[in-house]
Amino acid sequence: MYLWDYRELIGNLVVSDLKIKYADSMLGFAWSLLNPLMMMVILYLVFSNVYKSTQENFVIYLLIGILSWRFFSLVTTSSLEAIVAKESLVKKIYIPREILTLSMVISGLISSFLEFLVLIPLLVVLGVGIYPAILLFPVVQLLFFLIIYGLSLILSSLYVYFRDLNQIWGVAIQLGFFLCPIVYPLSLVPAQYQAYYLLNPVTRIMVMYRDIFLSGTVPGLSDFLVVLAFVAFFLIVGNLVFSRLARRFAEEV
Amino acid sequence: MGPLFKNRDKQDCKDAIVVKDVSKCFRIPREKKRTVYENVLGIIKGNFGYEEFWALRDVDFTVKRGETFGVIGPNGSGKSTLLKILARVLYPENGSVAINGRLAPFLELGVGFQPELTAHDNVYLYGSILGLMRKELNGKYEEIFEFAELKRFENVKLRNFSSGMYVRLAFSTAIQADPDILLLDEILAVGDEHFQKKCTDKIEEFRRSGKTIVFVSHDLDAVKKLCRKTLLLNGGEVVALGETGEIVEEYLGLVGNTKNDRGVKGTAKIKKLAYT
Repeated sequence: MYLWDYRELIGNLVVSDLKIKYADSMLGFAWSLLNPLMMMVILYLVFSNVYKSTQENFVIYLLIGILSWRFFSLVTTSSLEAIVAKESLVKKIYIPREILTLSMVISGLISSFLEFLVLIPLLVVLGVGIYPAILLFPVVQLLFFLIIYGLSLILSSLYVYFRDLNQIWGVAIQLGFFLCPIVYPLSLVPAQYQAYYLLNPVTRIMVMYRDIFLSGTVPGLSDFLVVLAFVAFFLIVGNLVFSRLARRFAEEV
Repeated sequence: MGPLFKNRDKQDCKDAIVVKDVSKCFRIPREKKRTVYENVLGIIKGNFGYEEFWALRDVDFTVKRGETFGVIGPNGSGKSTLLKILARVLYPENGSVAINGRLAPFLELGVGFQPELTAHDNVYLYGSILGLMRKELNGKYEEIFEFAELKRFENVKLRNFSSGMYVRLAFSTAIQADPDILLLDEILAVGDEHFQKKCTDKIEEFRRSGKTIVFVSHDLDAVKKLCRKTLLLNGGEVVALGETGEIVEEYLGLVGNTKNDRGVKGTAKIKKLAYT
């Protein structure tokens, strides 16, 4: 992997991105933890009467959905700008351009890791408990990261040419929120549509997160294979699209 | 990493840069279409064309190791495009470019500087963009701030820097990249008289230590002084390549013949250092 030669640059870009994101203040970071918690409370108040009876530990169920969805939606949305926002690094000097997208996604990965930390005390307080399956969290998170990275490669390179893609993606994200089992249980989806419903990689990952945190079970091998297939698909297509479009970045940015 | 660029880190290779039949075409859309909406509209209206502008055509030359190589030509002749292709910022339509050794493009200084970070952080960030490892930078850290004369300000955020301090820091970091090949777009006008002298001395030191320099300029005196061999471009094509003295004569002849109101000779543009 030639990107390994650029590990320090990637590290520096990630750190400076995080520093700017959290603006050197603890409040900036605290805010990013409060945000999903407040969303959890709001969604709980709205949906608890509807689904409380069908879904055990609905609060935690909601929070896992929200945290994983935040990882996906925040990173893909910000990655649209990954190339365009670093115009000078594209036009004035040569570095492999996928570094810009990669460092943005890594910075999102770290934020997401920290956000998931708020889940741990809640698991204990609300009586769910902590299962050994939790050790699989980094694995699931890594698989999710790779899917998001592949998709971000496509989005960031297309955005250079199509500047209204952020509008389109904003709508897609809103739609996606309801296409994933975040506020409703998976069992709500009619049986005949389940197969199609599970074609969504984000749903697959969400189910895995809930397996390891909520029910303490290890996702099956077939589940991992399906997710790995998604990972391969997004990485291959992402790199193909990106390397093709990257040739004219310096002219189009 | 494009297949057209072969970065063979071979120090014993005689040629530092080999450019073969390089052409570059810019697409100039008849209508600027930057959105999906405009593109869909364009397809419906049956208007999805762009005009081609060939900035370079079949450019072919070799720069030997240790050579200071000049590139001259009137405005719009493709000099900067050529330099950007060497720097790998632009991708040529066809042809190939082989670079043997570590390349430092001085197209612009301070690329990637973050105003919200301190000078200290920015040196490490900028250094890594230029391909310097943290370990190397640690050893050169003092030297960078000494050369820039900014030791007192190392923990100040860059947005509080004056433009002069900004470029001094950038230049001091950039020269630490220890390149084999330097790409220079005009002599860098960095800071005040005193610091400019230091910069010119540094470039001269690079030259004497056997580094390869590609120097693009309108300043014919500087080209004559620095370069032994020079390439003359006009309209994106190579007009002549050879001893600097002869080429400069040829250039003056060319400019004299096609004297237009753009006043080619007088517009020695001063490289503006952008603050990004």
